[in-house]
Amino acid sequence: MSNDVKTKEKVHMDPQYIIRLTVTLLITCMVVAAALGGVNAITADKIAATNWEKTVEAMKKVAPDATDFSDALPITDEMTAAAGSVTLDSVYEALANGQSVGYALKVVASGSQGKIEMMVGVDGEGTVTGVSIVKNSETAGIGSKVMNNENTAKGVGVLSQFEGKTAADGVLTVGSNVDAISGATVSTRGVTNGVSAALAVAGVMG
Amino acid sequence: MNIGRQLKEGLITQNPVLVQMLGLCSTMAITTSIMNGLGMGVSVLIILTASNVVISAIRKIVPDKIRIAMFIVVIAGFVTCVDLLLQAFVPAIAESLGVFIPLIVVNCIILGRAESFSYKNGVAGSFFDGIFQGLGYTAVLLAMCFIRELLGAGTLAGVRIIPEQFPVGVLTLPVGGFLVLGFLIAAMQWALSKSKEGK
Repeated sequence: MSNDVKTKEKVHMDPQYIIRLTVTLLITCMVVAAALGGVNAITADKIAATNWEKTVEAMKKVAPDATDFSDALPITDEMTAAAGSVTLDSVYEALANGQSVGYALKVVASGSQGKIEMMVGVDGEGTVTGVSIVKNSETAGIGSKVMNNENTAKGVGVLSQFEGKTAADGVLTVGSNVDAISGATVSTRGVTNGVSAALAVAGVMG
Repeated sequence: MNIGRQLKEGLITQNPVLVQMLGLCSTMAITTSIMNGLGMGVSVLIILTASNVVISAIRKIVPDKIRIAMFIVVIAGFVTCVDLLLQAFVPAIAESLGVFIPLIVVNCIILGRAESFSYKNGVAGSFFDGIFQGLGYTAVLLAMCFIRELLGAGTLAGVRIIPEQFPVGVLTLPVGGFLVLGFLIAAMQWALSKSKEGK
């Protein structure tokens, strides 16, 4: 491929030329911005609806008793502090016939290859009702075993083992009260941190 | 302008990935399943064609000194459009390609074609250049996906072909991407030098 683009104009850096460059770029950017605004107007609602659908699907998995979910609740400083090193993304109230039956918390923890986004369901008594992975980039064939809820050596799904855990179980730690998938300790630890944080946040919320 | 010659260049003699060695990063990163490859290939094809046409159309009024900045603005505009449209209408593909769609902005195939072809040629020629170079890119992606998904995961487009215990898992990891791409490039160079000798 040739890289000898012919210079069409002589270099003269007089103010007029500089203004011409600026104005050309400015106009191009404005045209592109207007076009993007148009596309965004068409797609924004659709994207929001798709995301909400996905969120509800993930929430139904972790809060099986719920029939409906509230909009995202406001996140207070206290809740962020309770989550510690884990990022609290959003909190939704799980409702059954209009009555609160717990919370679905979306948290982002660090795995071995990147962020693990997950949904954790916690019922009114502070018991974990389910864990589901929303998004991850764990290694295929190793960390992905954790993401797919494969069985640990004890024969329980690595995500399912969190169901029934409460704050009373103490700090959740891989190796003592949480079993890892062999070879995927870091991914398991990431999920464990996420669940602990979700329990802590739910505890603060009462 | 010679459409036949342009087609041959895009697919074989000037194939963007195997001969010009452009866009290797995305080629290795996303070619783990046929659906990914198809989604990425078609997205690049559309963006490449659209930006080629626009850049060719405005080439006479673009001052030389800021042409790269102008190219990037045009390309980024199209990439963002495609990204939003994918998220809205085919969320499954948008999710599995993730950050690699926004990264098309800096994919050197598109900037490379803007600089070396559409900035110097007419709108119609640039249009076909976009289509054919895009097809060349997509063809390589699909070849890589075919090999890596079939041998690495034992499936094709998600359908299991080889029983679960046989596939070579390493092929779906980055290292497998390097290996498969290396072999494809070698095969391409071999075929090209063969055909030169034949003449």
